[in-house]
Amino acid sequence: MNSSPATTNASLMARGMTALREKGDIELYANVFVIAWAVIITLWQGTGFAVTLGTVFCIWAILSVSLNLVVGYTGLLSVGHIGFFGIGAYGMAILTSDTSYELLRTESIAQFGWPFFAALPVCVIAAGAVALAVGAVFNRFRDDIYVLVSFGFAIIAFNVFLSWRGLTRGAYGIRDVARPKIGSWEVSGELDFLILCAVFLLIVVGISWFLVSSSFGRVLKAIREDEQVAQVFGYRTTFYKLAIWVISAMMAGLAGGLFGSFTTFVDPNSFILLESMLLVSIVILGGLASIRGSLLGALAFVLLEEGMRFIPFLPSEFVGQARQVVLGVLLVLLMLFRPQGLAGRYKL
Amino acid sequence: MTNARAYLANRSNLLASVLVALVVAYIGWKVTESPEQALQFAFNGMSVGAVYALVAMGFTIVYSTVWFFDMYYGAAAALGAYGVFYLRSSETLGGLYEVNNPVVNGIFALVVAGVVLWALHTAFYYRLRSRFGEKTLRIGGVILAVCAGAYAGAVLTFPSNLHITLAPTIAIIAAIAIVVCGRALNTRIFRSNLQKVPTIALTIGGIAVGVGLGIWLADSPGSKLYLSWGVSCFIAGSVSLALYRGLYVYMRQRARSPLVMLVATLGILLAFSALIVMVFEPTPRPLPEPFGNETWKVAGASIKGFNVFTIAVACVGFVGLLWLLKMTTFGRTVRAIGDDEEVAKVVGINTTVIIAIVFFIGAVFAALGGLLSGHDTAIQPRMGLLLLLKGWIASVVGGIGNLQGAILGGFILGMIEQFGIWDLAGEWRDVVSFVVLILFLSFWPTGILPRK
Repeated sequence: MNSSPATTNASLMARGMTALREKGDIELYANVFVIAWAVIITLWQGTGFAVTLGTVFCIWAILSVSLNLVVGYTGLLSVGHIGFFGIGAYGMAILTSDTSYELLRTESIAQFGWPFFAALPVCVIAAGAVALAVGAVFNRFRDDIYVLVSFGFAIIAFNVFLSWRGLTRGAYGIRDVARPKIGSWEVSGELDFLILCAVFLLIVVGISWFLVSSSFGRVLKAIREDEQVAQVFGYRTTFYKLAIWVISAMMAGLAGGLFGSFTTFVDPNSFILLESMLLVSIVILGGLASIRGSLLGALAFVLLEEGMRFIPFLPSEFVGQARQVVLGVLLVLLMLFRPQGLAGRYKL
Repeated sequence: MTNARAYLANRSNLLASVLVALVVAYIGWKVTESPEQALQFAFNGMSVGAVYALVAMGFTIVYSTVWFFDMYYGAAAALGAYGVFYLRSSETLGGLYEVNNPVVNGIFALVVAGVVLWALHTAFYYRLRSRFGEKTLRIGGVILAVCAGAYAGAVLTFPSNLHITLAPTIAIIAAIAIVVCGRALNTRIFRSNLQKVPTIALTIGGIAVGVGLGIWLADSPGSKLYLSWGVSCFIAGSVSLALYRGLYVYMRQRARSPLVMLVATLGILLAFSALIVMVFEPTPRPLPEPFGNETWKVAGASIKGFNVFTIAVACVGFVGLLWLLKMTTFGRTVRAIGDDEEVAKVVGINTTVIIAIVFFIGAVFAALGGLLSGHDTAIQPRMGLLLLLKGWIASVVGGIGNLQGAILGGFILGMIEQFGIWDLAGEWRDVVSFVVLILFLSFWPTGILPRK
């Protein structure tokens, strides 16, 4: 009977491990942990900071939910999503900013001076139009070749932002991007902008939720599991893939428009390939084929940077890099032990 | 003739042919317009293409063995370049910015110790177990590995005395190489084993040459740069080997698709590039000039001596890799694993060891490409990802999984990039290469020289 406590311990541990491997538990723990973290950060840094953080979260959440439609639900691992984000941001910047300061320089760019709410639909439509053209070409690729060409799209988009100086001012960037205005209510305060972003986030989440729970979403999942079977059942998979790609790109364009208006300064450095890779890791971290997971991933990502400030002996300029290291290690661990991500429904 | 007509009847083939004809006509027109400029572009394309070819070859040998995409290669290329910078930072920038971090040295010492332990274990453990007993071997192996790690740490800690710290190692390696090569040559030529007296003579000669080489090396401080190339290639390769043996082996047992591996290695690349930014600052850095600023004039176009050297390295690397893959037992096993890993395992090939060595070789090639391109231009933290993508494109253009295709694709990509930016500014180079990639994937998805 000497060995009985040990065996009880072992069996308890085994039971604990199986409970951990069950679907819901990790998801629950992750939710609780991230939300508690958000509360701690808010208490520690004050509400003003939390408002800024919330706006950043909304923009990243729109991006990651939209990318999840492509990566998680349709199974196309795209690393080029930041290109559409950039198109949205530059659309907003070019259409709304007052570039009269530009006249002092030799290379001046066109000036439109549109209001925010007139420019936003144009951003969305521009991103969608580019996505239509790009998606028509990309539709024939699969798996790791798809990853490679989507890298290509991100790099081409970045180079266009950087080198087409007549349109984007290149590395100088465009400043004084307009803040939104509804009637007499000028959305200039941080809190007002957060409310606006949250409304757009709700709309995006609603559309995504409607899409994935409709028959359209079921076809997407069928394409993800086996494209040929979906074709056998008579679905034109090319059309479905193109449609979700364009919708997702339009959401990214919306996020870009909000981002441009939020920072009021747009330059190519916000749209480098690295940001795109971070975005994919957020989606995978949060969970593939799960909208809630994408929200969780975006929140964790935004909070991670603040969490890094707790680490002693870490110079403040390396906070972003430390976050990247943590994200990379998390990605490796997830791929080892939980390939569907924290709250995911689909294993890569 | 009918064959050609049938080929052109296909719409996409027709489109592709028209495209090729247009490109050839454009380049031909440009060449007749200014042949000197064209020659200059060809030289530039060759020297850029050599770097792409090196990275593509390393990528190909790994990809055609394990059939998943290892994004760590980007980090290996960056490690190669930054390793040289790390060891030679006292000379670049006039000694204004020196970086030598004990934490970094410690980590790489640990990695080297682990790799040495693994190598000793795979090479000697089962062979010597019955003679010495398991415990002795284990303790001895750990002691040797700790010594190797401490030695690696010492080499990294005193980069200005690289030629002295590395002299004994190189002497030992040279002596062993001479003895082994002498024996192998003898068996090849005379078809018999060596007698006792020639063996002793060969051994003494090898030791003498090794000692001589070591003394000469310890006396020539000019060799530090070239030694630092070797050290950084070795370190990039060791990290790759350690990652494979310590991580990818277990991950591949669980992975459902190659995309899992791709995402995991993407995480590794993210972590490595962030660490590089943390250790070295994000600004671009120069590397010291290897052979001075010598340029040669050929028919009105100029080419740097270093670029010729890069091209030569790519060609030598190609020949060496081809020899390794086609003529040796190791190469045959690598190809067998590439064709079917399960069957190779059944036949009795230790696939883990072979693949680990393949990862080492591949990362060495990537690091070589990275440091040569770093000497040519400058180094920056994101160069790794770009080189990796260019190597990937080159191997797709040449024919994925085929070594001849990789070197051909590398040179072709370099040429197309240079001729493509003739009328554009230089910053559109990446756009040109990705457009080339998409065209190739659309019209020739198997590349120029497909794998049989």
